[in-house]
This record gives sequence, structure tokens and C-alpha cells, in this order.
Amino acid sequence: MKSLLLLFCVYSAGGSEVTATLAAAGITRICAEADLASRESLPVPGITARANLASPTRIPWIVANGWRVIRNPKSKYVYELPAGKAALAAAEAHAYGADAALKIDPSDAGALGAMLTFLEGLPALDLPIVADLAVVDDGSAVTGEVMNLLARRNLLYQIVPAPSPRFRITVAIGSPQYPREEAADPSAFALKIRRQLTDDQRTVRVFGSETVICRLTGDERQLRLHLINYGGRDIEGLRIRLRGSYASGAAHVLGVGRQELQDHVVASGSTEFSVPRLTTYAVVDLARTAP
Amino acid sequence: MLRRDFVRLIAASPFAARFQTSSPLPRLRAVSAYQSAPAPGMPGPYPGRVVAVRSDTCVDTSTGAANDDVVREMMARGMRSLTGARTTRDAWRRFFTPSDIVGLKVNCGGYPHCVSAYEIVAEIVRQLTALGIPETQIYVYERFQNQMDEVNYAPHLPPGVQIVAAERANRNVDNAGYDPAVYLEADLFGEDDTRSNMMRLVSQRLTKIINIPNMKDHGATGVTGCLKNIAYGSFSNVARTHQNGKSHTYSIVGALASIEPLRSRTVLQIMDGLRGVWHGGPFARTTKYVFYPKQIMFGTDPVAIDRLLLDIIEKERRAHGAISIWDRSPASLKVDDGRARDADPNVNIIIREPGHVEFAATLGLGTYDRARIKVQNLTV
Repeated sequence: MKSLLLLFCVYSAGGSEVTATLAAAGITRICAEADLASRESLPVPGITARANLASPTRIPWIVANGWRVIRNPKSKYVYELPAGKAALAAAEAHAYGADAALKIDPSDAGALGAMLTFLEGLPALDLPIVADLAVVDDGSAVTGEVMNLLARRNLLYQIVPAPSPRFRITVAIGSPQYPREEAADPSAFALKIRRQLTDDQRTVRVFGSETVICRLTGDERQLRLHLINYGGRDIEGLRIRLRGSYASGAAHVLGVGRQELQDHVVASGSTEFSVPRLTTYAVVDLARTAP
Repeated sequence: MLRRDFVRLIAASPFAARFQTSSPLPRLRAVSAYQSAPAPGMPGPYPGRVVAVRSDTCVDTSTGAANDDVVREMMARGMRSLTGARTTRDAWRRFFTPSDIVGLKVNCGGYPHCVSAYEIVAEIVRQLTALGIPETQIYVYERFQNQMDEVNYAPHLPPGVQIVAAERANRNVDNAGYDPAVYLEADLFGEDDTRSNMMRLVSQRLTKIINIPNMKDHGATGVTGCLKNIAYGSFSNVARTHQNGKSHTYSIVGALASIEPLRSRTVLQIMDGLRGVWHGGPFARTTKYVFYPKQIMFGTDPVAIDRLLLDIIEKERRAHGAISIWDRSPASLKVDDGRARDADPNVNIIIREPGHVEFAATLGLGTYDRARIKVQNLTV
């Protein structure tokens, strides 16, 4: 299988001294500066405060790029990252299989080295993506923002060239069911789609955080769930609900290692479990069982 | 593991719409495998009954300091009167046995001027240990450790008493202290995380709970008393119920309080009214809106006590010329403008839902009808 890790390279300004720092951290895939200019720049991932929405009850605004990679999977990307963001960007790029160059602050070499070591240690598994709905991408900014908000709400979608019978819901912006004017409020629009799909029918749900975005791949035998924590704080006891029946497994958690899943329950056509501790990134592998 | 849950849809009562006319009540789904006790703690053995003990000397209003001796006497009189027991020890024995593991649900949100009083908490611990309950089986609890640290009950309590919280702070990252199998599910505003889970301490450790709320105004619920303290203080992810000027607390407060085993295990309500907050609650960072009811209320019926609290807060607000806790006027509303609310008692940041007390009565948690509530007033 193809290793997603091979798509990474890392750049940090500073000459041979920095290169030595990267090497000491185990980072050997170094980008040439000339290679960066031709790449599509991605925003710095993370959470950001929104003006006039300072209440602690507000859902944080997440800057995430998965939707961009889903839209243009063959593009080459570059992250220009301030200190503290390298590991998160690497997690995001890995989960979505992005061909990405990471331009990092030298102080992140250790954290990024640890992330790369973690990624290299993950069990090899190459599975197709799992989606609950389809989106016809017209390439517009509006559709892009809708895809962003769908991903943000963990509404799993796949881009299709035209409505597909494989999916109960196909979102085509500008169609009678999904007017362009409605999509002008992408958050409300994503919520409308969530209501149409219904929470019960969603393949994956997350409880205990508003800052975790999932990427799900799988087939009839197994699933791999990527959990990317954009919040910057470790999360204890993150609860996951998956539609279908799955045996209890383990989570591979950055900085923690292998963790047994807790409070595993199979009931009413779904499986629930808790990840004891989620740092920036974790991968959960599960085997399907008889209902 | 296969689990069989008791799933309950909490329906609105027919008269619920009398108060909340702006939108229908949300669909609530309570999930718990715990069954109700034959006689649940709420409303308990004294439905519709409240003992209110007052003392002019219980608190020095110039300093805010409580008088420990007076508070102890108020506690003794209140417990004996509530139960009809001859001695104070016998009164406590009506509720607790030496094998019980007892939680004291305090309220720390009003630090530094209005929290569950050290003197009351200490006296409860003294009475419980006198019954033979080991200190290690007594838990003083709140949701947030940083609030507990601020209030710092430890110097006032014997060593061994457990002082615990479910989360380090209100940051929505610590879920391990909550029970994944006991929760209320509701999609209120389209939020992604639709669950509020019960603290593991409550569902898996405690056998009995004593609820120790304060007498406070609240920007989303109108008042925060017995119901709000036990409900929102025992479940995760509850701040989501009120935002953008709209509060779903009308139904959620009672719904949470009615979920087992919380309902069955909460056997005693002791409302600390030594100090109170008539506006800007649940917080009391300054004394600007602090007042001194100088009383403690005792009962097992949280609805009855909160029904009285509605009148107490309303009366105090009226005395200061402030708008009613029942005010739903758009003219009073400055959405999420906490600064304006703190500066002006005629500003709401959310349309309050004091009707949550009556709604809780429809769930069987107690008596709301003032004419059916028997209040015994005592003076120390």
C-alpha cells in the first residue's frame, strides 16, 4: 500500500543549523525552498475567537483544511506555520492524505518529529473513505464554504460529479432543494443537511468536544477513524458513536501510544466507546461484528 | 457489552405553553439504566413542606461574616422541625445511616460573596460524622475544580472529607468524570454535542446527596435554587442550553433533576439564605447586588423551596426598582451584553425562565402551588 507519510516534507528557514535540528528530531524529508512557491497555501489550522462572540457557551470557530484536500486531492499544498502548529498540520495532512509541505518554526522540530515517528508507527491500512452524503462541487466559493461547514460538523460527504443513487442525500448548490441563497449562510445550511440526514443515521458522532473533526475510512470488514483535535487542549473521555456494530479495539494516540477504548457498548444498531485521552491526533481501528 | 437502557422521552405538560410562548419545548431524551427508588429523594417524605429558620445575628452585614454558633443553632432547629425528631441526632438519622456515601452539592459560582457557607457545610459534615459516617465517605462536590479551589472548603472541614470536581474548569475537555451511560440528549440550537452526562460520582459512588444551594438571581433561569443547583451542578455540557438571548432552561432544569439516580439519591435540601444575590447571578464578584435574607430553608421538596425563592428574589428586585424576573420584554434584552447587565438591573441578557420551577412540578419533583406549600417560620 501507499504510505501517506511519504507525501510529507518539511522546510524551516535558517540554514544548516536548523537542518541539523530537524535531523536530530528525526525529520529527514526536507523540502527545497523553491518547491514551496508552486504549492497552494493552506490556512493555519486551529481554533480562533470570533468577534462579538466571546461567551464561553459559544462554539469555537475551527480553521480546518480537510475540505480543501477533499476538493482538490491531487493538489500540492504548503502550510506556513507559526510555532506550536506543526504537529496539528501534520495530523491534518496525514488524515486527509494531502501532499503537503510544512514550513515550520524551528522550535516545533521536536513536536513534529514526535508526530512523524507516531505516524510511521501506525498500522498500515488503506481503506476507502466513508460518506453519508454526496456533494456536487461546482467549484464555487459558496460550495466550498458549505463543504467546510459539513466537515466541521462531522457530516461525512463525498464529492460526486452528479447526483448518485448511492447516497440518500446529494447536495447540489443551486438546485431547487438547495437554493444558492440558502447556502449564503453555510452554518445554517449545514444544519439543514444534518436535519435531513438525522443524527441517528450519521455514521459518526462525537460527544464531549466541539473541536474534534473526524475522518473515516472503511470497508465491510473494518473502519479506521481519524480524530483531529483542533482545540489545543487534551480531551479526556471523548465519546464516539458509530453506526453499526464493532468490536472494541484500541486507539493509537499521539504522545500516549496504544490506549484501550473504554465503556464500549453495542446497542440499537450503533457502537459507542470513549477514548480515554485525545491529544492532537488519534487513530482508532475497529473490526465490524455481527449486529 | 450489550446494554439495555431505560430511555424516557420527557414530554411537555399541557400548560407549559402558558409561559414559553416563543417556541415549542425541545424534544428531550433521558437515558439511564438506574431505576427509581420506591420513594425517590425528590420530593421525598415532606412534599410541599418548608421550614425557614431566620436569625438577625446569623451574619454580620458589615463584613459578610457568618456567626458559626448561630448557624449551628439554626441548623439544629431546622432539622428537628422538619422531621419532628426530638433530638438533632435523630433528625439526621431519619435520612442517613453509617454505611451511606454522602455527597454535598455545594454552590461555588457566587464566589467570593455568595457561596454555600463554610459554616453550613461544616455543620452538615459534623452531623454526618456524628452518625458514624466516616469522613472518607463524605464528598463535597461541584463541577469545576477551579471554583472549588477558590472557595477552599478544606480548612473548614475535618481531614478525610473528599472535596472533588468533575472538570478542572469550564472548558469542555474533561469528560472522564461523567458517566457515558447516563445522559440527557437534546438538540437545542443545532449544537454538535447534544448530550449532558451525569457525574460518575453521582451515578456510581454516592448513595445520598444533600443539596446546598444559595438564594440567587440567575440570568437564564430567573433564580438559581435547589433545582438549578442540583441539575446543572451534576451534569456536563449544560451551558449550551442558553445563548443568543434564548434559554431552554424552562424544561431542561427539571428534566435533568428528574433523571435517575440523581432524583432518588437527593434526599435533603438545605438552602443557604444567609446571603443572597438579587441581580447579576449566579455570580457575585462584587457586593453590588448582594443582600442578606438571613435565613436557612430546610425541606425535601426542591420545587416548594424554589417556589418561595422566586418570591424572595422578586421582592428584593422590586425593592431596588429592578424589572421582574418574569420580564420577557424585548426592550429589556441586551443579548450577551454582560457588562450592561452588571451595570443595570433593568437589563436582561437572556429571556429568563423562572417557569422552570413550575415545569419541574409537572415532572413530579414537588409542589408548586403556593397555597399548598406549608411553611414553618422559626426565629433563632
